[in-house]
Amino acid sequence: MIGISNKKQTNTTNTPVVFNMANFLVSSVHDMKNSVSMLICGLDKVLTSVEAAELSTHAELVQMNHEAKRINNRLIQLLTLYKLGQKIYPFDPQSVCLDDFLRTTVAQYAQLLKFRQIHLEVWVDPGLYWYFDEDLISGVIGNALNNAMRHTRDHILISAEEHDGQLMLRVEDDGDGYPPELLEGNGNVMQSVDFHGGNTGLGLYFSAMVARMHRNQGAQGDLCLENGGSLQGACFVLHLP
Amino acid sequence: MHINPLDISTPATELNFSGKNVLIVDDYMEMRSILRDILSSCGAEVKKIHMATNGNEAIGWLKKVRFDIVLCDLILGSGKNGQQVLEEAKHQSLVGPSCLWIMITAEKTMEAVTGAAEYQPDAYLLKPVTEASLRSRLVKIWTKKEAFAEIHKAMKQQDYSRAMSLCDQRLAADKAHAADLLRTKCDLLLVSGEYDRAKKVLEEILAERDLPWAKAALAKILLKKNDLDAAKNLLEETAEANPAYLEAQDLLAHTLQVMGDLEGAGNVLERAVKLSPNSVTRQRNLGHVSMKLGKLEDAERAFRKSVSLGENSVLRTADAYLGLAKACSANKNSEQALKVLGQLNKSFATDDVRVKALAVEGMIHHQSGNAGKAKQIADELCQSIGNDGIQPDSDGALEIARLLMAAGGDKERAIKLLQNEIKNNPESAALLRDVAEIFEQAGMGEEGSKLIETSRQEAMLIMNRGVLLISKGQYEEALSAMRDAYAAMPANIRVLLNLAYVIITYMQKNGSTPELIEEARNSLRAANELSPGEPRFIRLTASLNELIALK
Repeated sequence: MIGISNKKQTNTTNTPVVFNMANFLVSSVHDMKNSVSMLICGLDKVLTSVEAAELSTHAELVQMNHEAKRINNRLIQLLTLYKLGQKIYPFDPQSVCLDDFLRTTVAQYAQLLKFRQIHLEVWVDPGLYWYFDEDLISGVIGNALNNAMRHTRDHILISAEEHDGQLMLRVEDDGDGYPPELLEGNGNVMQSVDFHGGNTGLGLYFSAMVARMHRNQGAQGDLCLENGGSLQGACFVLHLP
Repeated sequence: MHINPLDISTPATELNFSGKNVLIVDDYMEMRSILRDILSSCGAEVKKIHMATNGNEAIGWLKKVRFDIVLCDLILGSGKNGQQVLEEAKHQSLVGPSCLWIMITAEKTMEAVTGAAEYQPDAYLLKPVTEASLRSRLVKIWTKKEAFAEIHKAMKQQDYSRAMSLCDQRLAADKAHAADLLRTKCDLLLVSGEYDRAKKVLEEILAERDLPWAKAALAKILLKKNDLDAAKNLLEETAEANPAYLEAQDLLAHTLQVMGDLEGAGNVLERAVKLSPNSVTRQRNLGHVSMKLGKLEDAERAFRKSVSLGENSVLRTADAYLGLAKACSANKNSEQALKVLGQLNKSFATDDVRVKALAVEGMIHHQSGNAGKAKQIADELCQSIGNDGIQPDSDGALEIARLLMAAGGDKERAIKLLQNEIKNNPESAALLRDVAEIFEQAGMGEEGSKLIETSRQEAMLIMNRGVLLISKGQYEEALSAMRDAYAAMPANIRVLLNLAYVIITYMQKNGSTPELIEEARNSLRAANELSPGEPRFIRLTASLNELIALK
């Protein structure tokens, strides 16, 4: 009611009013996501053809495909955060086989990993099952893998195991590790978001949010950033109850 | 714990596409060709891949070819959407249980969360669909279908004890499907009325993990045991912790309605409708609750939405049209109300619906001040139920009684109809409230509540007389008492089940005859039509079949 009367008042001065910017943003993100989906499918098709490797532009195509996937992941993160804020996200934890899950998640990056000559190791107990929202956690792991690919020298390790009654998912690389500012804010990733740096912080914010949504028997999931680990680089560690 | 390196260069399982028919349904040409290419690189034979650009084309193909895999976009431009195509395909048995149906969506929807309803696809797949994502989904669904094939077969034959022992067998060895198997086992215990066993299994599950479906199942048991307060508390807690699990919200709304808290039920439904506005049934329920609360515009909106959602759906009901007509009439738009009834009569051509629609039409004329027309319809209805022997169903009887009372029709007849309804449903608080309301509106509130009480008590007494006599060993007397009860209350579910029980017990003692078997069977059939799948119906049917097998 208040909104409407305000609008009438401003209209008398003939200034155009953007009435519900959020709606425009959301519907545009939807629209962009559809276009990016088509783009990814198209590029995938080109890249899987036999002749693709012979093309002089092969390297650029692989990179383009990767960038398109990055945009898609970002848009999904934005939409998800919006829906979480509006309390309309269809959160749906299911029993997931970690072996299948990690296989499917990393398959999207196989081409780029090969192209960049990065060695990816995945360690998982084949009989390990856990309850989580597959789409959300796939986004989180994809995001962590993306980061690792940007900072690693040539080696990334992903592992999943049960640890103290929780699922522990780790993404480790052999790069220089996280900058100290990020580690200082540890335990509260949401506060360490730096909008001026190269990274918008959206990915970490999203990941921390998703971790906390996972609850069971009074326990809550969390996200830890560390340096060190078995590859002496950055470690992205997700605990889910 | 041992942990192994994963060989990620090859897919986990090879897919076997040989001889498999595939249907792709998408309104975008680019998407269809992308999906076809992905399928063919997964191993599908290109000449066995068929494509449809909209819902009607899809139904056309489904009628012609027996498909093994259907990939269908949820949004299909104008006409039917993907969900409606699936509903129609299942409803008309165009796809069998072995057909694998994947719904493709741009983003995760609320509808994907429930995962238990009859008209659900096997999976939702998010765009962009890639070879890896489709491949892993296909493998997962195929192995699941294989794991459940025998169990579902037993369930279809209503052989629940066999289905349950198959579940137990699998649970011992199959870790991959443990979660689904446990859920199925609990469903089976619930439908066969083994509430105590179900409760025990559910409590074991919940000691490990907070699963919303398990809490909802516990609440269902509490509802069956008529512990409404406990059910309400549990459902409120579950809905609060899992806002996306709409089944809990629907069940909570139902519980509140049974408790007579319409306001609470309305609030819950409004919240659920905001999260998932496309449910024909939920919108209809919201319409009914809003109407009873006197929120006439909300009621009209909800009924209208239910009707329009149902237009292309096999889930549409006459009930939503009648609700919409009543809401329009209450909103002083009798012209619109009559138009809705016209549409209703075109879409549903059964006697039940015709009688109900006529009664509602009479009320519309009454409310718009056309007393003559209202009276004429009232008399016409009296004629058809009196002389033509047309038996209205429960809702129909109430509508007719309402009209007879309001439009100066045959009041005696109206009271008789209401009395019958009370006797047929003496344990339904909601029905008794509706009957009381009709008396109230006719200015007969006091007389009405006395009548309700005496009819109810009388019914309860007759209902259980046969069972009481059986327990005293008076078999002949029990049989004749239950037959009398049936003659007096032919649509009372407890009477029908008790009659079957008494006949079966009688036959166990004195031997069976074809006539008695037939009588028991008819009684069970009638009970199942009134309220399908009651646990007692299932148990009695099993005993009857056992008796016949012994013979």
